Amino acid sequence: MEEILSVGIDIGTSTTQVVFARFTLDNTAGYFSAPHVTICDKKIVYKSQAVFTPLKTASLIDGAAVRAIVDKEYAKAQIQPTEVQTGAVIITGESARKENAAEVLRQLSEFAGEFVVSTAGPDLESVIAGKGSGAWQYSMRNECLTVNLDVGGGTTNLAAFEDGETISVGCYDIGGRLVRLDKDGTISYSSEAARLAADTVGVSLSVGRRVSAAELERVTDKMAALLAQSVGLLPEEPLLRRVKTAGSSDFQTIRKPSRFFFSGGVAACMENEETNPLAFGDIGVLLGQSIKKTFSALSAPFQPGGETLRATVVGAGSYTTSLSGSTIFYTEGVFPLKNLPVCKLTAEEETDCFEGRTEKLGQRVRRFLQQNQTSELALFLEGKSDPTYKELQNLANAAAAVLEQEVPVPKPLLVSVRRDMAKALGLAMHRCLPDRKLAVIDSVQVGQNDYIDVGRPLMEGLVVPVIVKTLLFG
Amino acid sequence: MLDEATIARIAEEVIRELTKYGVPAAEHTKQETGEDIDSPESKRETLLTNPQDGEALQKMKRATTARIGVGRCGPRLNTRTMLTLRADHAKARDAVFADVTPNFLEELGLFTVQTCCGDKNTYVTRPDLGRKLCPEAVETLEQKCRKRPDVQIFAADGLSSTAVEANLSRILPVLTDSLTDKGLTVGTPFYVRFGRVGVEDHVAEILGAKVVCVLLGERPGLATAESMSAYLVYNAHVGMPESKRTVVSNIHKNGLAAVEAGAYIADVIGKMLAQKASGVDLKKG
Repeated sequence: MEEILSVGIDIGTSTTQVVFARFTLDNTAGYFSAPHVTICDKKIVYKSQAVFTPLKTASLIDGAAVRAIVDKEYAKAQIQPTEVQTGAVIITGESARKENAAEVLRQLSEFAGEFVVSTAGPDLESVIAGKGSGAWQYSMRNECLTVNLDVGGGTTNLAAFEDGETISVGCYDIGGRLVRLDKDGTISYSSEAARLAADTVGVSLSVGRRVSAAELERVTDKMAALLAQSVGLLPEEPLLRRVKTAGSSDFQTIRKPSRFFFSGGVAACMENEETNPLAFGDIGVLLGQSIKKTFSALSAPFQPGGETLRATVVGAGSYTTSLSGSTIFYTEGVFPLKNLPVCKLTAEEETDCFEGRTEKLGQRVRRFLQQNQTSELALFLEGKSDPTYKELQNLANAAAAVLEQEVPVPKPLLVSVRRDMAKALGLAMHRCLPDRKLAVIDSVQVGQNDYIDVGRPLMEGLVVPVIVKTLLFG
Repeated sequence: MLDEATIARIAEEVIRELTKYGVPAAEHTKQETGEDIDSPESKRETLLTNPQDGEALQKMKRATTARIGVGRCGPRLNTRTMLTLRADHAKARDAVFADVTPNFLEELGLFTVQTCCGDKNTYVTRPDLGRKLCPEAVETLEQKCRKRPDVQIFAADGLSSTAVEANLSRILPVLTDSLTDKGLTVGTPFYVRFGRVGVEDHVAEILGAKVVCVLLGERPGLATAESMSAYLVYNAHVGMPESKRTVVSNIHKNGLAAVEAGAYIADVIGKMLAQKASGVDLKKG
C-alpha cells in the first residue's frame, strides 16, 4: 500500500479552481501471480472556492494573478508543491484561446509540482468533466449509456460513456458567460456564437445595448434547444454546426442515452433556484433554467452530476493519472518524461517490426519528427498477447535501431505498448542500447495526436504514473 | 425367413432410395462436423433461450470462461454443453497423458532425463517417485551440466505436456538472456520427464545451484491446458519445507505472456539472490 497526492487545477472561462486528491495504490494480484498494482481508492481531500479567472486584457490571462490564486490555495490546504506527486493543470473553454494560454499553463504546471502536467483540448476536457461529474461511473455501475453535458462559461463539453468506455465526445460554444452585462442590464460583452443564436430569435446583442431578461431568455432557450439537438433529442438545424468549437470532435450518439448528466457552473445554477436571473452579470442562471425547461419538456431523464461546478477540476485531479502495467522496464533516472508526442504505429508497420523489417518504421519516425518539429517522441504500439522469442527480438532490434538513429543523444527513448510485454521488450532493447536512457511501459491506451507524460516510479519501482493527454489551444 | 441374398437386395434398394433423396444421412454428418463446438467463438454463443437481457448476459460471458448462460434441459445440461464439457475434459486428460515430443526438445537443445517413474501410470499414482531423479539421470546431470551455477533452470512435464510445448520456447530464451544480462551464471538447461515440482530440490542438490527454477506444466483445468508455472527456490534441498518455494503461475497466452514472464522471473531471481531467501521469506516489494 502506498498513498500519493494529486492536484487538479482548472483555469476555466469564468473560474479558476484547485482540488487535491489522495490515491491509495495497492498490489491486488494474488500471491502466486506477477504483480498488478492498481489505484484502489481516490479521495478528494481539499476543494478550493471558485475564483473568477483574472484577465489582463480581453485576450490575455493575468498569469501572475492566476499563480497567486493557486499559491494561496496550496497554503490554505497546507500542501507544499514538493509533496504533490501527480496531477494536471487544464485550461478550458475560452481561456484556452487566450494568446498566452500555453505559457500560463506551462508556468503553472512547473510551479504546482514536479509531475503536474499541462493539458488542453476540447475533447480531453469533455472526458475529464464527464468523469468528474460521475456520468462515467454511472455508466459503468449500471452498464448503460450516459451523456454528460458540462455547461461552463464559454463552452459545453459533451461526452458519451457506455459501460465505462468513452464512446463519443464533442464541444459547442454554448455557455453562461457568452453574454456579460453591467449592473443596469447593458451588454458589456457578447461572443460570436451567442450573437449567432440571438440572431435566429431576433434579439440583438450589440455591446452597449440594454436588454431585458425576457429577451435574454429567448436566446438561452435557443441555446438549450441547440444542446438538445446536439444529443439527438431534437432534429438538428444548420446553426448547430456553426457553434461547434474549433478543433473538437463530432459528437454522436447512436441510441438514446439512459441518462443525461449536467455539470459545470451553469448546472450549478439549475439546482439553486436563483431568484435574480442576472445575479452573476451574465446569462448563466437563465441558461440553466432554459436547459431544465427544455430537457423536462422532452421528457429526457436528466440529473445534476455528483459534482457540478467542480466537475472539471475534480476530473483533472482524480481521473487524468493512470498507472502503467506492473512489469515494465526503465533505466535509472529516466523519469519524469514530459510532453512527449505519441507516434502511434499502424498495424502494418507493427507487423513489419515483428517480422524483422525496419524500413517502414524508420520512414515513419523520421516523418513524424519532421512534421511535429521535435527531436523526441513516444513510440506507441499495440503489441501481441503472446509473442514468440523471435518476434520479440525482431521488434526490439527494429525499435532500437530506428530510435537510436533518429532520436539524438541524450534524449531519452520511450516505447509504450498496449499488451503486457514491456519488461521483456525493454530488456531486449536495453541489450542493443546499453548506454541509452530508455523506458518501456505497457497497459497504456493512447489516441492519435496525444501526448504522454510519465512520472517517477511508485510502489518500490513496480509502476509509473502515466498521463495521456492532448495539448490543443484554440 | 429371409436369406442373405434377399437382405443384400433390400439393403441395395434402400441405399438407392437414399441416394435419390439427396442422402440425408451424409448431410447430417456434415452439419455435425462443420462447426467446432469447442471453439472460443462457439463458446461465446448464448444457448439460453429467451434471456431477459441478452446483452447483459453477453457481457457477463465475456468476463468469464465459466459455462454460464448455457440453459438446461429439465434438470440436466443441454447436449451441446455436455459435449463441450467432455471435449474440454478430453483435452485436459490428453495434456496429462501426452508426452512432450522429442523434436520439440531437440530444437531447444535440451536433453532429457527421467525421474524414478518408469511410465505415466506410475507417475500419476506415485507422486513421491516423481520428485526423485533415477540413478542414470543423476549420472547424466553430473556429466553434462555446469556445476555450482548461480541459477539452474530446467523444464518438466508436470501435469501438462501441452503447457510445456506452448510456452517453453518463448520463456526459456528470455529468462536465460535476462539472467545473463544481470551477470549471473546460468546452468545447462535440460528436461525432466515424469517430473513433479519437488524434483527441483534433488536437482539443486546434485548441481549445487544457488537458485533452482523449474518451468512446468500445471494441472489442466477445463478453461486451459496451456498454463505453466515457475517454481523457484533459494538454496533448495530435499526435505525442505514447501514454504520456501516462490511461484509465478498462470503463464499462458491468456494469462501472463511467456516472454514477459521470463523477464519478470529473472527479476524475482535477482531479488532472491540479493536477499538470500525465497518463498514466504522473500520480500517481493
